[in-house]
Amino acid sequence: MDRLLPFIALGLLLTGCNATQPQDVASTNPTPDGEPQYGGELIYAMAAETYSLFPGRQPSSTAHDAWLYAMEGLVEINEDNEIIPWLATAWEISDDGRKTTFTLRERVAFHDGTPFNAEAVAFVFNEALAKNFIYVHMLEGLEEVTVDDAFTVTFHFEKPFAALLSNLSHRSMVIFSPRAYRENGEEWMATNLVGTGPFIQDEQVRGEYLKFLKNDDYWQQGKPYLDRVTIRIVPDMSIRSAMLEAGEADRTVLINDFDIPRLRADPRINVRVIPSTRQYYVVLNHTVAPLDNPVVRRAFNYAMDKEGIVQSVFAGTGAFLSKAPVLSEGVVAFTDMRRPGEKTIFAYDPDRARELLGSAGFVDRDGDGVVEDGDGSPLRLSLWSPRASAKSDDKVAQLVQSMLSEVGVAVEIRFWENSAFGSATNLGPEDAQYEMALLSWGIPTADPDEPMMMMTYSKAWKPIGANRMFYASEEVDRLTLLAHHEVDPALRKEYVRLWTEELLEDAPIIFLPTLALNLGTRSYVHGDRILAIDQYPARFAWIDRAEMERQGVRR
Amino acid sequence: MLRLVLGRLLFMVPAGLLVVTFLFGLFHFIPGDPALLLAGDNAPAEVVEGIREAYGFDRPLLVQYATYMAKVLRGDLGVSNYSREPVASLIFPRVLNTAQLAFWSTGLAMIVSLILGCTSAMFWGTKIDKVVTVVALLGICTPVFVSGLFAIFVFSVHFGLLPTGGLASWRGFILPVITLGAFEAAVLTRMVRSTMVDALGQGYIQTARAKGVAEIAVVFKHALPNALLPIITLFGLGFGATLGGSVVTETIFTWPGLGRMMVDSILTRDLPVTQGALLLFALMFIAVNLIVDVLYAYVDPRITYD
Repeated sequence: MDRLLPFIALGLLLTGCNATQPQDVASTNPTPDGEPQYGGELIYAMAAETYSLFPGRQPSSTAHDAWLYAMEGLVEINEDNEIIPWLATAWEISDDGRKTTFTLRERVAFHDGTPFNAEAVAFVFNEALAKNFIYVHMLEGLEEVTVDDAFTVTFHFEKPFAALLSNLSHRSMVIFSPRAYRENGEEWMATNLVGTGPFIQDEQVRGEYLKFLKNDDYWQQGKPYLDRVTIRIVPDMSIRSAMLEAGEADRTVLINDFDIPRLRADPRINVRVIPSTRQYYVVLNHTVAPLDNPVVRRAFNYAMDKEGIVQSVFAGTGAFLSKAPVLSEGVVAFTDMRRPGEKTIFAYDPDRARELLGSAGFVDRDGDGVVEDGDGSPLRLSLWSPRASAKSDDKVAQLVQSMLSEVGVAVEIRFWENSAFGSATNLGPEDAQYEMALLSWGIPTADPDEPMMMMTYSKAWKPIGANRMFYASEEVDRLTLLAHHEVDPALRKEYVRLWTEELLEDAPIIFLPTLALNLGTRSYVHGDRILAIDQYPARFAWIDRAEMERQGVRR
Repeated sequence: MLRLVLGRLLFMVPAGLLVVTFLFGLFHFIPGDPALLLAGDNAPAEVVEGIREAYGFDRPLLVQYATYMAKVLRGDLGVSNYSREPVASLIFPRVLNTAQLAFWSTGLAMIVSLILGCTSAMFWGTKIDKVVTVVALLGICTPVFVSGLFAIFVFSVHFGLLPTGGLASWRGFILPVITLGAFEAAVLTRMVRSTMVDALGQGYIQTARAKGVAEIAVVFKHALPNALLPIITLFGLGFGATLGGSVVTETIFTWPGLGRMMVDSILTRDLPVTQGALLLFALMFIAVNLIVDVLYAYVDPRITYD
């Protein structure tokens, strides 16, 4: 289906949509929320199949978005990237940083009637360790979780682990009912959500819909407002927009960038666009000359017209200019690293790029448009890119190719099928065949720990980690480890900032724009949210019934 | 006849096993690692390793093959890599959905193409014939994703008459059935027309006309039964193809069918699901062919299978 999308986009383009809109400032809450009304059903058109609903085996953020209604974690992350208390009301880190003690909320019950308490929390995390749940690597060094009293648990770590709180806010670490799990097993849990959330799972038809009913015994008094939530699985982008326009759905996500101007022109629809935590980047293989030379790598960065990419590939709304290397605004400990007055890091400067290439010994000596080194051999590189992706990777790759050729670097693109690309870029330094490869890095936990430990750390070279550049820098490693074990947020933020400074200096990759997220909502829906971590909570949304009626939406 | 039916049913067993074996081999030769896809781009090696171990991807190919085959022979298609649900319970509702769509759209296509094709042949070379031919050509040239999206924007978004699809009510059936049916009808109309034009040129038609039989009776009583044999084959093939799932139609009309599931499972390298779906697809095709063969015997008295 993804292959159809360009055609559909083209079709809509031909019917008169304006593709070049100015880049929007992120706006999170367009309508004043007012006095909430009770009742009604919210229909949410979701893009992808949810697959397994069991938190221990599910890496997909789509499923996480569905869990929002029924499942809750100890802490949550809010729109301002702050970790806020949720099922845990307070926490305390021991002086040596190895123990974190959580005080839990009382008078909370699971949907099956069993009480939420320290026993339940300890069970979930100890079971995760014992059964090697998919998220265990996000709890690095966790030895065990102990019950201190009925509503207090302590997480014991081998070494201080700075990312604990942001990782605990990750959706997969929700607390499910131990009794439901013990009695029915993991396979049953794959289709049944039993948590503490404001909605109770009602009915599921795979590939079609997932329904929730209001939890009358929810621990937050007076919430939720809606009676029912229905998630419909609608894989086609254009159809999701059509459903929103026809009033068949009240909200939807992943709207085609070329549909956004049309929907924005409709007063009944609000479209919110914010930067995600996912940045595009080009892996430069440092085992290949001259990509081992930071001067050449910086030249490549200056050669990229990021604004051109945002405008042409993403119609001005599908991506944002990156303000710091690897990290976007939605990440904890983010610092804006742009030079004063510039719109993005490594602002487009082809002359600077040519100059840097020249200083590294690459000059076009024979006037054929391609630079040569001192021995006269031209600078030719290959760029690998996946093709079967809805995120327009192939078009970004083509722009990278033409922008590099602008400054005299000849690039040959090789397109791969998605899964094959995954395997081809999963090899160690001896076996890796790519010179450059187009990828993106998303941070689902909104914590800088993952890219620091997995992307730029010298001990995380593929295939052990995800350092596909085979980049090694002593200073980067030092700052990474400092940040990894620093539990003081202010100090940690400073280490992270110094790390991004190093990345700007070394330019281990080509930094490209940040992918945008969007959410389209009918204007009668109030109080729903969009988060940079690819989540769209509408648990506490409510519907203005009079306005809904006025817009002619009847169900 | 009984021998034919029994023989074909028996043939399903080796055919099914062959399909499964072929697919198993193919999946291990094409690049792409299911464990890597499950773990995600940036997962550490230990997570990938853990998945390989848990799902048995690390065992030798022959062992994996033998385990899988032993299960299949016992009627167990395994569990999906992604949802961890039994493949049979994943596929079954999808087959029903696809079968419903295939049934209604092929039925529509059969009726429309018979009427249009016969009319066209009756008025061969006239304006009516030309109009039908051009309309059919337009139908073939318009991909389902164009006509489908167009229909949705007109009937759902603009006029708000019909839902954009989905199985919730019979009204959701209208757009997908018509869109898919119209496309099939366009293909079939041309075939029906050419076989009918052929049949109408035969000597016995001239005889019928000479003895003064009404043109309607000539076409439907004399020509059509003789032209029916190739037409039935075409209808059977058309039905078989739609049973395999029409990915585009299913995606556009939010129809959770076999086609979409198969494509998703291939892209995610979810081998058990792909195998289950393809196995079923193969069996359905054999069954449709069998039905067509049985129908031959009824339509053409000269054909016997004994």
